[in-house]
Amino acid sequence: MRKWTAVLAAAILAAALAGYATKASGSGSSAKAGGTFRLGTSSRIDSLNPYVAFNQDAYNTFEYVYPFLIQYDKTNGAFAADFATSWHSSNGGKTWTFKTRSGAKWSDGQPLTAKDAAWTISTDIKYAAGGAANAAGLVAHIKSASAPTANTLVVRYAQAPGNVLGQFQQLAILPQHIWSKHLGNKGTNLKTFSNNPLVGAGPFKLTKFKKDNIALFQRNDSFYGEKPKVDAFGLQMFSNEDALVAALKSHQIDAVEAVPATAIKTLKGSFNVRSVPGVDQTDLIINSNPKKTAHRELLNLKVKAAMAHAVDRAQIIRVVFLGYARPGSSIIPPATGAWHNPAVKPEGFDLALANKLLDQAGFKKGSDGIRRASGHKMAYDVITPTDVPSTNRTFQILQPAFKKIGIQLRQRALDSTAAFDAISSPDSKYLKFDLAMWDWVALIDPDFMLSVTTCAQFGGWSDSGFCDKRYDSMYSQQQLTPNQAKRKALVWKMQRYLQAKRPYVWLAAQNAVWAVSKNWGGLVASPQGPFNSINKLSLTRVHQQ
Amino acid sequence: MKGADYVLKRLAFAVLTVFIAVTINFALFRLAPGSAVTNLARVPHATPETRLALKRQFGLDKSRFQQYVIYLQQLAHGNLGISFANSQPVTDNLRTALINSLPMVFLGTLFAIVFGTLTGIISAWRRGTTVEGVTVTTALGFYSMPTHWLGLMLVILFAGVLPTGGMSNEFLINPSFWTHVKDLGEHILLPALTLGLVLFGEYTLIVRSAMLETLGEDYVLTARAKGLRPAAILRRHALRNALLPITTLVALSLGYIVAGAILIETVFSWPGIGRAVYDAVLQRDYPMLQGAFLVLTVSVVLCNLIADLLYFRLDPRITE
Repeated sequence: MRKWTAVLAAAILAAALAGYATKASGSGSSAKAGGTFRLGTSSRIDSLNPYVAFNQDAYNTFEYVYPFLIQYDKTNGAFAADFATSWHSSNGGKTWTFKTRSGAKWSDGQPLTAKDAAWTISTDIKYAAGGAANAAGLVAHIKSASAPTANTLVVRYAQAPGNVLGQFQQLAILPQHIWSKHLGNKGTNLKTFSNNPLVGAGPFKLTKFKKDNIALFQRNDSFYGEKPKVDAFGLQMFSNEDALVAALKSHQIDAVEAVPATAIKTLKGSFNVRSVPGVDQTDLIINSNPKKTAHRELLNLKVKAAMAHAVDRAQIIRVVFLGYARPGSSIIPPATGAWHNPAVKPEGFDLALANKLLDQAGFKKGSDGIRRASGHKMAYDVITPTDVPSTNRTFQILQPAFKKIGIQLRQRALDSTAAFDAISSPDSKYLKFDLAMWDWVALIDPDFMLSVTTCAQFGGWSDSGFCDKRYDSMYSQQQLTPNQAKRKALVWKMQRYLQAKRPYVWLAAQNAVWAVSKNWGGLVASPQGPFNSINKLSLTRVHQQ
Repeated sequence: MKGADYVLKRLAFAVLTVFIAVTINFALFRLAPGSAVTNLARVPHATPETRLALKRQFGLDKSRFQQYVIYLQQLAHGNLGISFANSQPVTDNLRTALINSLPMVFLGTLFAIVFGTLTGIISAWRRGTTVEGVTVTTALGFYSMPTHWLGLMLVILFAGVLPTGGMSNEFLINPSFWTHVKDLGEHILLPALTLGLVLFGEYTLIVRSAMLETLGEDYVLTARAKGLRPAAILRRHALRNALLPITTLVALSLGYIVAGAILIETVFSWPGIGRAVYDAVLQRDYPMLQGAFLVLTVSVVLCNLIADLLYFRLDPRITE
């Protein structure tokens, strides 16, 4: 037994030394000039290949390692220069010309020119139905791209589009001399290229990548734009939020990209905690497919309105998001700035009005308090994805409120793949499901969010079965309206239209909340958090205090 | 000859088990609703063409039977396919995840085998005493603890003393060899301890039960009557006869090492095979799932085969 006691004592000693060593290494690494900014995330980079990547952190990484033609400015409301320094349209908006930086270089020393941009766009068009399918939507309506000079990019469209800059803000320019070797198998090889080591030209170079573990970025001194203040930054990936917060508290990392609501209180005071309106909105989805076969009463606008009035958003925000959210009202959240229509207000929580609307619609309550529609109970399954944990507590708030208006709800929790399968079944026709809950993360440009309710998105992004010719016509119109003021008016009109038709009842727009050690400053706020794909500003400007 | 027959039969049975498992795995994952395309096609600006292209790329446009034949053909050539999720060879993905998992799970299992066997023997030998009460209660306590809860408690307890996530401190700049080893040791301690403590309970209870059975046998009574020393009775008569169930348990535990530990890897952000399998299930990444379960099947079958062969050596009755 004495031997085990000795082993135990040694283990305790090792643990104590380990704690000391961890602290020492943490402070040691940031003591260098410039320093290394250590960011923790509960998300991860699923792939370094832009034709494969799915997770937002992968797209955030591309923003910092690749050149983009343009980016959003500090306010996230206007476009600013990135690789392109100026741009203009001609030929009635069908031709766009970009002037790009001169003297720029890829991280392997090769010259970066407008030809790389033209090649990327042309490749995306050529293999849109194959290896480059991920980028297909970004090059929609483009006929051709060319680089008449090393610093001039000309893009020609079949029709004058309304969201050219919004699309190019999301398109990473790839090095032709690297990627052109991976066009085999009719472009399919674009997807199998691991892209590690990564040749880029952003403010940072990716120097180390271990999947689901760490991504280390070093300052790129030959970057064409604003140089980073730090020597390096690292993104450490955690699969457990409690461990992530514990790592911040023990200074193993310097910041947390998205703080869970339950941890905000414990971090305030010791860390700088920022909370800004975000672009992640939760929703109640009502199957709005006009061809829906069962429970067609859900297509009745009075029933939908009654459901909207049975949602206690204040309680959802207080209980589920601990106050770090705002009432949802529109498919375009307020954090997108001018694209949000402020006239689209959230419906008030009014059970008496909801009951009145259902009475008016002729759905009488049975002896059990549940209403009847066409002889059946108004009792519905609500599909909830297990990877959106807020849906569980939100459902617990909705269920009793809906019961009070004579509608019975049953939760059907499924993983996201199975949930989408249940929503879109059979064969992407959206005929079977009644209600669901999920969330949407909007982009700044409204085109993408407005597209999810078009008929063309059946089997794609649609999760409501909404298909309306008048709406589709408005959508196409806004896509082809180069005048941004006119486009905004159309976008506002579409939001009003969607609120009237209610494929979604918007519940809450979550705040983006992050926490940073008081030793660091300079992070730029954005509705996507400090590490985002909106612009290159945040981690370029972060610095030791 | 009897021995050779036994070995051959066991080998044939092992091969058949692997083949059946491979077939069941292929069918099982495809029974789950949804497909890899459902998830992967849902990226900003994806078009209906994206879905078609993905289906063609993954071979999901072919019939199930065709997919099965292709899978077997590839397997015969040692090719586990390409992951749907990250388009990289499954072999590479599995190798990385396994290399990450094995040291941590092995250390935890070793801890459990050593301490669990020891406490199991002690508690059986000291039956009816306080020692037995303490060991059994402790073992039951750890055995009944949800793994992730125990992991989280250790995270809370040791936050600031030991690292709470990851396999190493990747921010260390040019660490010396010993600094690196120490760093790895610090990171592996909590996850391995969590696994070890949970398995420790199981080992203690099973070893105790096997020991109690043999300690009640007549030959132990005879040995006592002959006046043998307690240590000799324990080692030569009781423990040797209790080895059969212990061998099975150790073999099974070692076989399952390659499965990693999903909950522990999640709590401690350990990028191992358990998390890789969990993600593959969520993403319906069939090649990755098939590859991971093939490795698991082969490992469990192999360890069982080794246990069977050890039985041959440990238990003379088998040759009779």
